[in-house]
Amino acid sequence: MKLMVNGVETHLATGGKEFDASLPTVLFLHGSGLDHRGWALQTRWFAYNGFGVLAPDFPGHSLSQGEPCSTIEQSGQWLVDLLGAAGVEHAHVVGHSQGFLSALELSRLKPGAIKSLTGIGTAAAIPVNPMLIDTAKKSAVKAAEMMLQWGFGEQMHMGVSPTPGMQPIAVGRQIMGANPLASDLQSCADYSAGDDALSHISAPTNMILAGQDKMTPLKAGLVVAEKLNAELTVLKEFGHMLPIEAPKQVLVALREFIVSVEST
Amino acid sequence: MSRSSFYHPDTIALHSGYMPESDHGSRAVPIYQTTSYVFDSVAEASSLFNVEQGGHIYSRISNPTVAVLEQRIAALEGGSGAICTASGMSALFTTFITLCSAGDHIVSSGQIYGSTATLLRHTLKRFGIETSFVSINDAAALDQAIQENTKMVFCESIGNPGLEVADLPQISDIAKKHGVPVVIDATFAPPGLCKTIESGANVVVHSVTKWMGGHGAAVGGVIVDGGNFDWQASGRFPELTEPYEPFHGIKFWEEFGPNALAMKIRAESMRDLGACMSPNNAFLLLQGIETLNMRMKQHIANAQSMVEWLQVQDSVTWVNHPDLESNPSNTVAKSLFPNGAGSMLCFGVVGGRAGGAAFINALQLASNLANVGDSRTLVLHPGSTTHSRLSPEAMLAAGISEDLIRVSVGIENIKDIQSDFSKALRAAQKVADKLAEASS
Repeated sequence: MKLMVNGVETHLATGGKEFDASLPTVLFLHGSGLDHRGWALQTRWFAYNGFGVLAPDFPGHSLSQGEPCSTIEQSGQWLVDLLGAAGVEHAHVVGHSQGFLSALELSRLKPGAIKSLTGIGTAAAIPVNPMLIDTAKKSAVKAAEMMLQWGFGEQMHMGVSPTPGMQPIAVGRQIMGANPLASDLQSCADYSAGDDALSHISAPTNMILAGQDKMTPLKAGLVVAEKLNAELTVLKEFGHMLPIEAPKQVLVALREFIVSVEST
Repeated sequence: MSRSSFYHPDTIALHSGYMPESDHGSRAVPIYQTTSYVFDSVAEASSLFNVEQGGHIYSRISNPTVAVLEQRIAALEGGSGAICTASGMSALFTTFITLCSAGDHIVSSGQIYGSTATLLRHTLKRFGIETSFVSINDAAALDQAIQENTKMVFCESIGNPGLEVADLPQISDIAKKHGVPVVIDATFAPPGLCKTIESGANVVVHSVTKWMGGHGAAVGGVIVDGGNFDWQASGRFPELTEPYEPFHGIKFWEEFGPNALAMKIRAESMRDLGACMSPNNAFLLLQGIETLNMRMKQHIANAQSMVEWLQVQDSVTWVNHPDLESNPSNTVAKSLFPNGAGSMLCFGVVGGRAGGAAFINALQLASNLANVGDSRTLVLHPGSTTHSRLSPEAMLAAGISEDLIRVSVGIENIKDIQSDFSKALRAAQKVADKLAEASS
């Protein structure tokens, strides 16, 4: 669906059903250079099983208009505005990689907006090699290529796809190469308030981490899980792009956690 | 490396799409000879049917062995996804029928495989889909032929049997200006010879039966989604951008982006048309693909030797191959096919139609049959077989003359192929001499 956020048209995937703010909302936040399509195999289940789903493209990404947020702090404020525009008081927030940092900022700005928090393939800080940022400034396509090479685990590199016949590396190249990757990476590199944000979270938390993650190493994610006393799932045979690489395993871990939070 | 993989083509051809499976460690891709797949629960079944998760439901829609082949070909071509079909023709029909509805229009090269021409000219017309045929490298003609209701520009990488190489960058520029995708039948240009998608194609179709299989033991086709066409910006494809009722109003472009077409084909066309590839054929075709790059090197080396050899034979009246300067698309061929433009060649023999028939009948090593791309050398007289349904005017437009012999050069020892052709050329010469005597 399209939603005006601060006067800018924003695209949100709703999992194939019209969004209903009266249902428990699940908010999916994509990582650097990605968009709502990374959540294609999680959002539909929630939408068809009693939840309202919002999976926005951050400003300036894919189907959303506007300029990209230049800092994680800005993206947190944008999420506050987005939830306001959608008429959502609180949501189960799910963030992949950079999306989790934005969720942390949302939690600092509006703690009551977080009904539960799930981090996928992420950490409290995501340092980025300056060479990658420089490359992204010159060519998002080249930087996307580097990230896809590091970001996917061995199964993806061997062309083994969870969706029959599909090749996620080419899909990632197409989406990330056309999005404001340099801005995303710079905002990750600049963000240092993650640890502080973690210490203020009181909502139920869940971490889904990858054993072959080269972008946000497993050990960094485990530190977050420990600090939050979070539910933990480690998918050993996959890389950083978990929602795309292991959609079914991610969905199982997500739905078990979110359904259990809803039932308490 | 391709747009879909960081491995090199030789490695992709051997490995992509499969890692030894966990239960038994089978090194070869297993043949999943099954129609259907047990669901863990009713909820899981419902979830699969509603595209909430990936997986197999019924082998008409997808199958694990076929999926390996699909993923391997997608990786070789650099596509975002691929769907295998029962044959190359069913791949074409599936592509046409997925993108076109009654009242729509296709712009096609006039120089294409005879059965494809018949499909476009007659069969699709019955469904209200019209086709305009143009000389595909004539930029002005192509530009003018695209209408408001045009849904694709279609051509073959290397036209069959005229061997005109399509100027993909030019065709793509023109199509892009109109918001129309470029669909390429790249059967004569298997992956590795030409970077079809990077050169401007949006959808690539192959008859996998041909060079990819190489053994002539299995029929199959594939549609590769380049993932590089913006169906929304085009404005011509509500089928992909607007709600699709049979799947609860799913919007393929919005939900799947670069995979939109492949997902639509899987969800709608494989379900409705049912032209699926059998797992056994997928296994056989995978065996061929494993050696594709090695075989292509030998195919091309032999084709180049044959071209040189035929040019100096007295009984040969003309020779055509894209790598020859006399071929009108030679400049394009050099640009798009740096290592050689395939192993198809055509030539004329003395004695016209009768001479051609004598030549083919005298061959012993080469096989006279309606196939190309086999590892063995194959020959055919298109005017009396594959293109026999075309009118004389359409044959001329397709670049076919009565004396044309089409050769798919195999990977046998080149001396043996030349020896076989040498004997057959003598038979043609005898016929020509008799005809000359009779007319003098």
